[in-house]
Amino acid sequence: MTEVVAAPNPLLEGLTMRRPPEPCAIAIFGASGDLTQRKIMPALYALAMRGLLPARFGIVGVSRTEMSTEDFVERMRQAVMVNCRDEFRHDVWERLAEGLHYVSADFGVEGGEAALVDALNEIDETRGTAGNRVYYLAVPPAAFDDIVTALGRRRTASGWTRVIVEKPFGHDLASAEALNELVTTYFHEDEIFRIDHYLGKETVQNMLVLRFANGIFEPIWNRQFIDHVQITVAESLGVEGRADFYEHAGAIRDVVQNHMLQLVALTAMEPPIDFAAESVRNEKVKVLKAIHTPGPKHVVRGQYGSGYIEGEEVPGYRQEHGVAADSNTETYVAAKLFVDNWRWADTPFYLRTGKRLPRRETTIAIQFKRAPHPLFEVDRESLRPNVLLIHIQPDEGVSLAIGAKVPGQGTSIRTVHMDFLYGGAFRIGIPEAYERLILDCLLGDATLFTRADEVEEQWAIVDAMVAPWKRDRPRFPNYAAGSWGPPAADDLLHRDGRSWRRH
Amino acid sequence: MTHIAWVPERWVEAATGTLAGLAERHPSRAILLLPQPEDTTDSVEGEADLRCFVRQGERKEVCAEVITLRLRGARASVPASVVMPLLVSDLPVFLRWRGPLPFGSTELEQLVGLADRLVVDAVEWDEPARDCRELSKLFGTIAVSDIAWARTLPWRAAVAGMWPDVAGAAQVAVAGPLADALLFAAWLETRLGHAVDLDHEPADEIERVEVDGQEARPVAAELMTPSDFLSDQLEMFGRDPIYEEAARRVASWTTTK
Repeated sequence: MTEVVAAPNPLLEGLTMRRPPEPCAIAIFGASGDLTQRKIMPALYALAMRGLLPARFGIVGVSRTEMSTEDFVERMRQAVMVNCRDEFRHDVWERLAEGLHYVSADFGVEGGEAALVDALNEIDETRGTAGNRVYYLAVPPAAFDDIVTALGRRRTASGWTRVIVEKPFGHDLASAEALNELVTTYFHEDEIFRIDHYLGKETVQNMLVLRFANGIFEPIWNRQFIDHVQITVAESLGVEGRADFYEHAGAIRDVVQNHMLQLVALTAMEPPIDFAAESVRNEKVKVLKAIHTPGPKHVVRGQYGSGYIEGEEVPGYRQEHGVAADSNTETYVAAKLFVDNWRWADTPFYLRTGKRLPRRETTIAIQFKRAPHPLFEVDRESLRPNVLLIHIQPDEGVSLAIGAKVPGQGTSIRTVHMDFLYGGAFRIGIPEAYERLILDCLLGDATLFTRADEVEEQWAIVDAMVAPWKRDRPRFPNYAAGSWGPPAADDLLHRDGRSWRRH
Repeated sequence: MTHIAWVPERWVEAATGTLAGLAERHPSRAILLLPQPEDTTDSVEGEADLRCFVRQGERKEVCAEVITLRLRGARASVPASVVMPLLVSDLPVFLRWRGPLPFGSTELEQLVGLADRLVVDAVEWDEPARDCRELSKLFGTIAVSDIAWARTLPWRAAVAGMWPDVAGAAQVAVAGPLADALLFAAWLETRLGHAVDLDHEPADEIERVEVDGQEARPVAAELMTPSDFLSDQLEMFGRDPIYEEAARRVASWTTTK
């Protein structure tokens, strides 16, 4: 049979609008769950509001909960009204709701997927979605096997298929490898979209722009000029109803394995040859492969006891609802990592993440080396090194700390900040990470998703970090809620003659 | 950036409204030039405002500077020396020219010489085809944006989405302003590489586009305000060859289609 090659569309030339996604249907597994209501549906609504969804589009909500399509539509409408960043517009919602369906299905039983297959086929006929499918697995990993197997066996002969997989992708290297093997049995790697929602954040993407669109940073972005890097992911909240998950995951699996190692990779990676998915991910994987396995002395874990957050007394982790009274789950991790390559040899990357810290903050601080010659006769403490601070959230932006002369007689120096704040420079709202990621998936762009080898490298690092924990019993709690973590985390830097950033 | 707006008397109200919306999206120094060449006194009268806007749902404000200058008498024909000291260093300069362009005048020549991009709206012109011809002579000198062209964007995207059904299109019907309709038809003709007849129905904004009787369905077109259209142009820095080609095609039509 002769393949018919479509002529290129001359009308698209010069259109500044992003090309629209092709017609497709999206099936959301875990449709009755929290993530669908808080993030996925509001993101789809926001995309519809901006005309970024394909004209021919349908959504099928799938879960085991018995519910009619009418009830599902109403539940989603409420979810959008509460959680969307935009004003609710009935006309936009009505257009989206026209293509909204619900299917109650148990993929654990033989043929449980039949109702979904029927619903998708119907959408193909009525809405012209051409067999193109996005399967969004917003379900716990335990449910993956049945769903992926059923979908893989009944994938359509026509159209394309993409699978979005929510974190956690496994709980250690072995389970991640098993999951990868399962998914790749039925789907090609370029059909699999593993979400780490941090990569959908504007400020995380801005890290790439900052580094690779500005000529001044890259020449000094190395061990010659940078003393060390500090990455902080701090939360003031406790487990907030996620005790069941958190008891098994802890801070290292919840945050370090995915978000923090992504931030390390983006900070340390070499310039990719282009902004294509494989080029960017190749460079990130190289960084992860180059991370030296941290020894036990380079990793600190902690668990919060009772304390005060914003003046309010809060219980310790072990007193939280759903948490074992003798739980040894870590709610805090600090670590010193080294990226063993020419650019970063001997330059420490200090990471810390924790719950019930004094405030919510995600930052990457690039601390440069001090000026080589002390020209001014001033207190060394007042002549602080330059720090480039990338605020991921909140107060998104970039800030450079520099020394400036205090006006007046003599030479007194103070640290001042040159700030770029997204909120101060742009009034347009920052899109939610899920909007960007869902749209990218509809467009088939996997740049901001995690590749199989990337996720396995991340787990290999985490496995090495937690291995010594099996041998010793921690003395928990070891930091008070509302403090910046256990004293051992401070010692981790003090031993190197450094300290965590002041807040 | 610096945003210079040349605003003759009859456009002041519209320009002020657009500027308010614009500043929310493009914090910048706006220099509003209000020419009054008939005034018997030769003078420049100015005022400066700092206008701040609260971001939706947030406590922070975004602020923009607005400098309003009344150029009276002969000063209206030599604006460059007044404007130059007020430009923000090292940042792009956009010139929004309200109303018909006085081709060959010193004021246009001077301000085009200062700016990186000229932004016009062909709907403000009396004879779009004639003015497109004159405007196209500036393409080699300055990057040009036409808001009438920008308004057709959602409709162009919608028709592009109808490919390949529209590959052999022979006729396009546009209900909308004449300038928008001409640019749309010229775009279709230049992209497809063959003649396309235009059936134009006057309306204040584009309400309908049909290609060979098939209706285009744009998305989000109704959400765009005049400020949004201007804002979009301020995000462009290079020349727009597709627009230039369409404008030259309009210029080649001595009589409207």
